[in-house]
Amino acid sequence: MKSFFNLTFFVKSPFEKLALGIVFFIILISFLGDFIVPYDPTQIDFRGKLQPPSLEHPLGQDGAGRDVLSRVLSGARLTVLSTFTVIFVVLVIGCTIGIFSAFAGGWIDNILMRIADIWLGFPPLILALGFAAALGASLEAAIWALIFSWWPNYARLSRMITLDILSKPFIAGAEVLGVPLWRKVTFYVLPNAFDVLIIQVALGVSAVMLSISGLSFIGVGAQIPAPEWGSMIADGRAHMSTAWWVVVFPGLAIFFSALSFNVVGDALRRELDPLLRRV
Amino acid sequence: MHYFFQRFVFSLLSLFILTLITFLLSQVVPGDPAIVAAGPNAGAEKIELLRSEMGLDKPLTQQFLIYLEKLAQGDLGKSWFTHQPILEDLIRELPPSLELVIIAMIINLMISLPLGLCSARYNDTKFDSSVRLFAMIGAGLPIFWTALILQNVIGGELQLLPIAGRLSFEYRTFEGYTGFFLLDGLILGRLDVFFDALKHLILPAFSLSLLFTAVGLRITRTAMISEFQKDYVLLARTKAASEPRIMFKHVFPNGAPPSLTVFGMQFGWMLGATVLVEEIYGRPGIGRYAVKAVTQSDIHAVVAVVLVVGIVFLLANLVVDLLLYLLNPRGRVDK
Repeated sequence: MKSFFNLTFFVKSPFEKLALGIVFFIILISFLGDFIVPYDPTQIDFRGKLQPPSLEHPLGQDGAGRDVLSRVLSGARLTVLSTFTVIFVVLVIGCTIGIFSAFAGGWIDNILMRIADIWLGFPPLILALGFAAALGASLEAAIWALIFSWWPNYARLSRMITLDILSKPFIAGAEVLGVPLWRKVTFYVLPNAFDVLIIQVALGVSAVMLSISGLSFIGVGAQIPAPEWGSMIADGRAHMSTAWWVVVFPGLAIFFSALSFNVVGDALRRELDPLLRRV
Repeated sequence: MHYFFQRFVFSLLSLFILTLITFLLSQVVPGDPAIVAAGPNAGAEKIELLRSEMGLDKPLTQQFLIYLEKLAQGDLGKSWFTHQPILEDLIRELPPSLELVIIAMIINLMISLPLGLCSARYNDTKFDSSVRLFAMIGAGLPIFWTALILQNVIGGELQLLPIAGRLSFEYRTFEGYTGFFLLDGLILGRLDVFFDALKHLILPAFSLSLLFTAVGLRITRTAMISEFQKDYVLLARTKAASEPRIMFKHVFPNGAPPSLTVFGMQFGWMLGATVLVEEIYGRPGIGRYAVKAVTQSDIHAVVAVVLVVGIVFLLANLVVDLLLYLLNPRGRVDK
């Protein structure tokens, strides 16, 4: 890490600063969303059905008269937090398998990575669809489904970094000093792998977020009254030709979140990635 | 020959793991399949009978072998919502989806390859940054949302392209041999049908391809940039080779193969992503079939779609790898 205290060192252009701002904003909203919503996001009001954006309802009202702004804000919790859950669990599982595989070496390494290779190949969305169908449609099922189909990404990456770190002289030094295995993992491998992993996390967010909202859109994720962004779009589809705001705003929320995380991930990669620096 | 063999074994291994996954998926179904199949009024004896008939009393490994045997015979079970053998459903639904994915792939290649090459050549110019911005935006757009917006604006408001379906109303009686309307139109010499089908394909194919184009563009650009830095380009420049010659004759053929691998993988991913597009555009296909099956909790139909998409994915990768091997003589020496 370049500087521990200056956490925003990696953003250079105004565009990237804006993206980082949006990322912080989205994370904040996903925790505070339910406390700052102007209306109850599931409160039905038939008199306000499909009302266009106004001062009272800045983003309009949906087919059941629910406030779209409140739903988008409160939806951040469902969409963003479930994305983070997927990424976090996949990171832990993937790194455990990857680091274990790298330390074990030999045929164990071979078999684990072959499985990861094959797994990685299968279209994640369709695999998740199958898994969600087996578990029954719910947001939890979609989260599990994505964890199930996403782990090899991180397993392969963390194995690669671990092998790279294990080839360094300081590991040979640690070997001589008789440093125990758990210390090697926690004090030698993980801190050195941090940079590459954080890049992958930032870039993974948009892919997972698009998948979660996609699964919700086709009805295997969050179920319709829930203000998840994908299911909001599914819910508003029928009204789209007369009330564009019902579909456009949740879509923009997904788009700006995914875009911002991608921009931040790219900036991180440019500044931190040792593989890029070598070229 | 050794490489072919190795590659083939890898595909077979992948296929085996795929069937293992689909088998396990169909096992997770909540509830006892025998009780469900027997119906609500069945007695304990009938349930036991069905259980042994369905092979549910056997150990899991043996059930897996039975499953494989059925697969080999093309028996994927019966769909609960179409009341037809799933294999027949899939044979009917696959051509429209493949047609869509092939057109989307062509759009993807037509944008990614030339733009990636040019943006690598003019690296760090205004042109390059606008290409990168386009890729950035494309990678953040949800496929289903773009599809809805394009359908409503271009198809609905501006009425430039058809909103839904595969063919216009006047061609409703058209029937081909292959299920691919583009191909049928050409075979039967019905160019009007061909162009009508193509018009219906543009919006869904473009919405489907956008996310993949963004990724393909980035990968092509990166591959080409590192290719432009190689010594032979410098040599060609000192020999005063023309710039187009360097780009198309030297850099492109050398830099394209790594991105071709990615495009091969994208083919299968796109087929999976049809679940997001086909339903919106009212097109028949395995994507819409899968969504319907999920909402009807018809697990065997869903699992069959997973299996078929997986197989298409494996085949596409196999074909691309063999193609690269044949195209690139260096690979033969390395392996």
